[in-house]
Amino acid sequence: MTATQDRQEKSAVSGKRTINLIQAVTEAIAEEMERDSRVVLFGEDVGARGGVFMATAGLQERFGKQRVFDTPLSEASIVGAAVGMAVRGLRPIAEIQFADYMGPGFDQIISQAAKIRYRSAGQFTAPMVIRTPSGGGVKGGHHHSQSPESYYTHTPGLKVVMPSTPYDAKGLLKAALRGEDPVIYFEPKRLYRAAKGEVPDHDYVVKLGEAAVRREGTDLSLIGYGGVMPDLEKAADALGAEGVSVEVIDLRSLVPWDRDRVLSSVQKTGRAVLVSEAPRISNFMGEVAYVIQEQAFDFLTAPVGQVAGFDTPYPYVQDKVYLPGPNRIVAACVQALNY
Amino acid sequence: MIQPFTPEPIRYVAEDGTPVQPLPARYTPELLRELHRLMLQAREFDRKLITLLRQGRTTFYAQSSGMEATQVGLARSIRVGHDWVWPYYRDHTLGLAMGVPMFELISQCLGTNSDTCRGRQMPHHFAAQAQNFVSISSSIASQVPPAAGNAMAQKYLGVDEITVCTFGDGATSEGDWHAGLNMAGAAQAPALFVCENNQWAISTSIREQTASETIHIKAKAYGMPGYYVDGNDIVAVMEVMTAVAEGVRAGQGPALVECLTYRVGSHSNADADAEKHYRTREEVEEWLGRDPITRVEKLLEKLGHPVSAEERAELIARTHREVDEQVLRAEATGQPDWRIIFEDVYADVPDHLRQQEAFLRAEQGGGRA
Repeated sequence: MTATQDRQEKSAVSGKRTINLIQAVTEAIAEEMERDSRVVLFGEDVGARGGVFMATAGLQERFGKQRVFDTPLSEASIVGAAVGMAVRGLRPIAEIQFADYMGPGFDQIISQAAKIRYRSAGQFTAPMVIRTPSGGGVKGGHHHSQSPESYYTHTPGLKVVMPSTPYDAKGLLKAALRGEDPVIYFEPKRLYRAAKGEVPDHDYVVKLGEAAVRREGTDLSLIGYGGVMPDLEKAADALGAEGVSVEVIDLRSLVPWDRDRVLSSVQKTGRAVLVSEAPRISNFMGEVAYVIQEQAFDFLTAPVGQVAGFDTPYPYVQDKVYLPGPNRIVAACVQALNY
Repeated sequence: MIQPFTPEPIRYVAEDGTPVQPLPARYTPELLRELHRLMLQAREFDRKLITLLRQGRTTFYAQSSGMEATQVGLARSIRVGHDWVWPYYRDHTLGLAMGVPMFELISQCLGTNSDTCRGRQMPHHFAAQAQNFVSISSSIASQVPPAAGNAMAQKYLGVDEITVCTFGDGATSEGDWHAGLNMAGAAQAPALFVCENNQWAISTSIREQTASETIHIKAKAYGMPGYYVDGNDIVAVMEVMTAVAEGVRAGQGPALVECLTYRVGSHSNADADAEKHYRTREEVEEWLGRDPITRVEKLLEKLGHPVSAEERAELIARTHREVDEQVLRAEATGQPDWRIIFEDVYADVPDHLRQQEAFLRAEQGGGRA
């Protein structure tokens, strides 16, 4: 009996279980492979090894080498092959070992996956998911720590998501696999085992494009996604101890993103601080800030604050200093509150 | 049995139309005349489309004149609508010979409402669902890894289809090309890779492109057979392609075929004066002497079934008439309206695109009903 089956049996009684984020990813893949024989999974070391983070552990044993297999060490091949498989009718999940390594597959993502529906007017489409661990906090240096999501949010035709809880990780991945578009699915690697939470036993999806309100508040909207979310919670706790009511929003999907949820929150609180760990220039949160000032300018009582990574390559030694931790987030909130 | 890795291109018919080895029985005068007709039609299609370009009715065109035997021969060696093709941007002759309607090709070149791709791509970048002729991308060799994946899916699904992937000689320098062949080789996928080696990547010659003596020998590195064919000899192309395609279909793994041919025209309208800048008139003249269409004409003459001057003239005139008719028919459908900008980006139009669509609707005053 696999660990997943064991958990499923226990859950029959409770109706929900507590798992971590990486287990949620594994479960989502397994359940979708069970559901749909078109789903295949491949990448570097995903088979017998189960992936460098063990996200695919046990899947080759369960589904066979036809459906779960190791590929040559080539991101262009992995992404490109996924495009061709999707065009021919499969539902490929391509794992890229680290988001930092997507460079050789970039042309395949932006020239093929993102464009084929548009340029052929729907005669050929590429519904597929590229899963990849991203973000810092694991002492990985710049080739194992970057947050490249903005390269992909800038490309029409792609959907881009990044969960921060096991519930979302599972539900978003299932939704991505059942959709008709190519999805870049970033997994915040520092939350793989750190983020624990309940998932229901029954089948569910989390629709792409809907943000989650993690806590409600009235004084300030704190908005982030992915690996920084626990830091947003800590900052909100600290501010709450000082009597500040913070609303915490997890975007979950960047393309499409939930403008309505963000705008209604900012209209209520009058202040927004946006947090991501990616470098600041052309950071996706710049788009969120623009929309807030365009659509909710009259509601703002302070400039929109932004906490981001620095415009440098990601450092190995000063890893924790580079990341926007709770202190930096609190400082940005205080600045907005005192404006 | 066709041999891989021959030092010289495999050929059946010499430049003067003399068979250099016995012609297989299927090359009846009827078949040869049909192949001749397809090649001549493609040649005249080129001529007419260049005229349209000069008239400003289209903005880009990449001729395949000189390469007809390679593309027609390939088209006649696969199961159209059953096999899948990931072509490159000089493959309209392949499309025509596969039965993509001339009307569709012209509509795409003119970007009219009748373009099945709805005017989204620059001219000469077709897609044809009925023929499994997958949408062409301009970025060189980017179709190669997807073709490997297409073939891997066919293997997974257990169907007896194959995937054909074409490219020029320049594409073989791209990382995607090596990645795609390596992947197909490792997966033993039913992929037939076809290099249409026309010897020039815009203005870069094959000698500047690679220190490799030929392209087909690179197949060895990926664990697949490589075949070297005289791409201007349609009998050779058909014989090799048919045999190799059936081997791929039978589960023997992928293969690479290099068709040695020549683009007698310019790369595109962007370098219409090729001979002034990067190649000599002598070189072009030499290759004109190896022309695939006249070679078949000479062969038919030797077989006692010559194509008469009248027949040839009538075929040319008919093609010109057909192009003219299809151009008028396509132009009569008008241009796609502004809404095509927002559709087919995603399966459904998301909210942020709906907002941008609303902005443009206000600016453009309604669009179509």
